Amino acid sequence: MTTGAWICLVSPLVSAILITLGGTRLSRRTAGYLATLACFVSFSGALASFVAMLGRSGGDREVVSTAWTWLSAGRYSSGFEVLVDPLSVMMMLIVSGVGALIVAYSIGYMDGDPEERRYFAYMSLFVFSMLLLVQGGNLLLLLAGWGMVGLSSYLLIGFWHERPNAIAAAKKAFIMNAIGDATMALAFFLLIKQSGGLAFGVLNAHYSSTTANLVALGLLGGAVAKSAQLPLQTWLPDAMEGPTPVSALIHAATMVTAGVYLIVRTHAIFEQAPKIADLAAGLGAGTLLLAGLIALVQVDIKRVIAYSTMSQIGYMFLGAGLGAYANGMFHLMTHAFFKALLFLAAGIVIHALADEQDIRKMGGLRRLLPGTYWASLIGSLALVGIFPFAGFFSKDSILAAAMAHGTYGYILWVAGLTGTFLTGLYTFRLFFIVFGGEPSAFVREHFHALKRDVVGVSMGGTVAVLAVLSLFGGWIQFSPWWHPVDTWLRTVAEPLVTPKSWQEWTSIGASLLLGLAGIYSAWLFYGARRVAVPRLDVAQRILERKFYFDELYDALFYIPAVLLAKGLYVLVEQPLVRGSVTELGEDARDVGGLVARLQTGLLRTYVLAIATSVAVLAIIFVAVR
Amino acid sequence: MTGPGVAWYLGVAAFLFATGSLGVLLRRNPLIVLLSLEIMLNGANLALIGFSRNFGNGDGQIFALAVMAVAASEVVVGLGLIVALNRKRVTLDVDRLNRLRG
Repeated sequence: MTTGAWICLVSPLVSAILITLGGTRLSRRTAGYLATLACFVSFSGALASFVAMLGRSGGDREVVSTAWTWLSAGRYSSGFEVLVDPLSVMMMLIVSGVGALIVAYSIGYMDGDPEERRYFAYMSLFVFSMLLLVQGGNLLLLLAGWGMVGLSSYLLIGFWHERPNAIAAAKKAFIMNAIGDATMALAFFLLIKQSGGLAFGVLNAHYSSTTANLVALGLLGGAVAKSAQLPLQTWLPDAMEGPTPVSALIHAATMVTAGVYLIVRTHAIFEQAPKIADLAAGLGAGTLLLAGLIALVQVDIKRVIAYSTMSQIGYMFLGAGLGAYANGMFHLMTHAFFKALLFLAAGIVIHALADEQDIRKMGGLRRLLPGTYWASLIGSLALVGIFPFAGFFSKDSILAAAMAHGTYGYILWVAGLTGTFLTGLYTFRLFFIVFGGEPSAFVREHFHALKRDVVGVSMGGTVAVLAVLSLFGGWIQFSPWWHPVDTWLRTVAEPLVTPKSWQEWTSIGASLLLGLAGIYSAWLFYGARRVAVPRLDVAQRILERKFYFDELYDALFYIPAVLLAKGLYVLVEQPLVRGSVTELGEDARDVGGLVARLQTGLLRTYVLAIATSVAVLAIIFVAVR
Repeated sequence: MTGPGVAWYLGVAAFLFATGSLGVLLRRNPLIVLLSLEIMLNGANLALIGFSRNFGNGDGQIFALAVMAVAASEVVVGLGLIVALNRKRVTLDVDRLNRLRG
């Protein structure tokens, strides 16, 4: 069981190292094949652990395998170890499986880019970091993986480093994530102080309510930053500057789902701090509404999908915060399928239209890209949560769990339902604008179809696989009748809420209706164009500026920091630091000039000086004695 | 042990040393300066040996031998330099040899 897990963890790292060391000795294609192969090997490793775990009974399913003692200081020590339990195996399967498909897709998408090898090395590193995050056998390794995910995302978002926008976006993502890393590290320091270690077991100990609240808050800070939830959500849409498969990887398999994983993994501490858990759920609900609203006015195809990710992660936070851990994780899984599908389908569209991402220029792609049309339709329906697509099964059970959480839960439930309507509206707005109607002038001019070579097969094939997963992936669990995911995760995280049957059915009915209503309004506005899109300039502007979060952070942090720096430059740097350096140099030169005058070069003066000094010394010697 | 007392020896040594140092200070020819240096060293040697004899201790004589070795090597280097200067047709005057740049 652990052998599979180690193979799963190490093989992407090996590929990253090989591609880096191989350099130009590897052809560009080979680098892509190597990375893809490594990810599929990784997936088979995960599959092997999964099969081995199926053969064990519930209590024996948690195994820690330690390679060596990684760090020890005083009484503290942490091993380099992997934890194999139902939760980590589930994450391993999602990360390596969806990750492998996305890397395979990249072979086609990145074909001809001048720096393909670097790209595939980074991709492998990204998958490795995420696997380290989910497999790490203690909180310290989790934090190491957490940081490395931030690093790899920085490298990949800024992959096209000649574009200033991409660099700015990469820095933004890194800084936002660093805030989360810092709060997490603080939480870990507190844990070490209180319990002396960072094994996952210390989370189960009982803490005073202040400690529990602070630790949970620190962990929530990390989760919120990595998963792009309120109030650290601003980096995610900018991260669309990276190549499309990178966006797919960030959104579907790695990175943003890490926050949900963290909450589920450390649920014991959140259960001791119910207020913080409620806060997590509330932030999730807030984000899903906010992102859904902003997505309504975005005109970049990838940004619309990015906001839909934020909104869906909001649902997962909602579920995880309420204690419906299995439901949150299940939604994470189905979301990985359909979000990867949507991004990769959008990648095909962008590829076919000579890298154009503005949906206002698109239209009528239905006949030109029939396969992508169907794939996107499946993905969009799954995203809205329409029966029988994947999202239907996972989203509704989160809403049902919200109903079972008292009054606060009902508020969240209403927010979640509103979100469903918004999801239907913005998803199908995108869908109808891009695929519906007649081909626009821009499309007629720039369209070029995929060829049936490696490029076309790698892109089309992976999209087809993901479409099948989005179609059938949700059938694993239908919470009113069968729930293997709940049972699978029960030994790791016991759910706190058990919705009653009528709550399940009410949620299913209501969200289905609202989702369909959203789609219908999108059809009226953008598909059939029977109703003019209502325009409200103020609202439009607010949404286009993304609720002014960027401006707010600029005003709160960036501008004061710049002013402080400028002030210090004028008041301290110039007079004190720079002035003192010049002054010191000049003084040293003056002293040097004086001393140099003593050095005449005349032997006689030297001898006289020596003789006089010796005489004086002798006299002093005699006199003192 | 017969012969003059240690004061005589010291007197001669002081005279030699003073002669030598005056030579170093006053003469301009580097050859003479070098010779005067040797005289100073011999004065010091004489003082060492005089004390050594006075205290019946051989240490001073060992020191004198060491000084002689140093003096010999110094003369080798010094004379070599002077010969080299002379070959280059440089005026042999220590007052005019006041630049290290060469």
